[in-house]
Amino acid sequence: MDNNITLLSEDLASSFDDIKIVFTDQRMIIMNCRKDSVISLLSYLKNLRYDHLALISCVDRIKENAFELIYILSAYTEDVVKGGINLIVKTELIRDKAEMDTVISVFENAEPYERELHELFGVYFKGHPRLTRLLLDREYPVPPFRKDFDTRKYVRDIFDNVPSVEVKKLKNERT
Amino acid sequence: MDRNNIIKWLKFPGEMGQKYSLHALYFCTGCGIIEIPPTITTRWDAERFGVIPVSTPRQANLFLITGYVSVKTLRYIIRSYEQMPEPKYTVGFGSCPVNGGMYWDSYNTIKHLDKYIPVDGWIAGCMPRPEAVFVAVTHLWTLIDKGMANGYKKYREEYKQYRANQEQILGELEWPFLF
Repeated sequence: MDNNITLLSEDLASSFDDIKIVFTDQRMIIMNCRKDSVISLLSYLKNLRYDHLALISCVDRIKENAFELIYILSAYTEDVVKGGINLIVKTELIRDKAEMDTVISVFENAEPYERELHELFGVYFKGHPRLTRLLLDREYPVPPFRKDFDTRKYVRDIFDNVPSVEVKKLKNERT
Repeated sequence: MDRNNIIKWLKFPGEMGQKYSLHALYFCTGCGIIEIPPTITTRWDAERFGVIPVSTPRQANLFLITGYVSVKTLRYIIRSYEQMPEPKYTVGFGSCPVNGGMYWDSYNTIKHLDKYIPVDGWIAGCMPRPEAVFVAVTHLWTLIDKGMANGYKKYREEYKQYRANQEQILGELEWPFLF
């Protein structure tokens, strides 16, 4: 499918001027783009034929002080096993002020993925209808998937502080 | 049956009836539930020991807490445990209820189940084999004979401490004090 990939690369390079294709393989194309052009890029790819948003994920790059959001798209009409490719779109957000527009206008199934990222990383999605807790049961001082969340200290403070139950000697009916 | 058992039958008949038919609540707590279907189906038959699964806590006698207990699950374990009629026995299955197990430094699991519900026995393993479940059931019979499997009585006596621990982890509980 090299033909397909080169065609797609040229197509993208001509339509958008701030996309950098970083890596190509037989199975995927990874492209970097700026945060503001994500929605237009995703809707262009959706109209092409890549209309299945498989996952939105996030990587905490603490040394560069950034979050890296990753959108994974694939096509229903092409199977990866038979030679179809996955498209991976990566953007960078500033870590201290992580805000992003929601892509629900393009892909409606992005709603639970963005909710999960808000809960676990603390990324705020503007325009999301319901940014509440999805998986966890409580609020944490620091969102728990960030690299500066000290899990051992949290466990020591919260869970190890619960006292054991002391039992007075119960009357045994036999003795 | 030897002569010891006959005396026991005559003295505490209700107890012998309980111990040989423990109805286990089929609450699929964590990852350990994958070991329960082999245990209760025909290959390693649990019904020869009297253990069958039931679907509601109102009909159950034995609560097997299989696998890790996250904070969300703990709320519903407590609710199911309190709905079970007495006498009831709890067995912690796997190494995660004992001391946290593989998730010893996780931000979302509780580490010692003994602080929130009374537990009568533990089964070590990750996951224990079905034969380990049967050994545990026979040990539970000995405990019931001696009168030492009295977790439910402990819960009744020390309910204030248990409730304080539960509220410390779960926050506000929706049900009032039981005892």
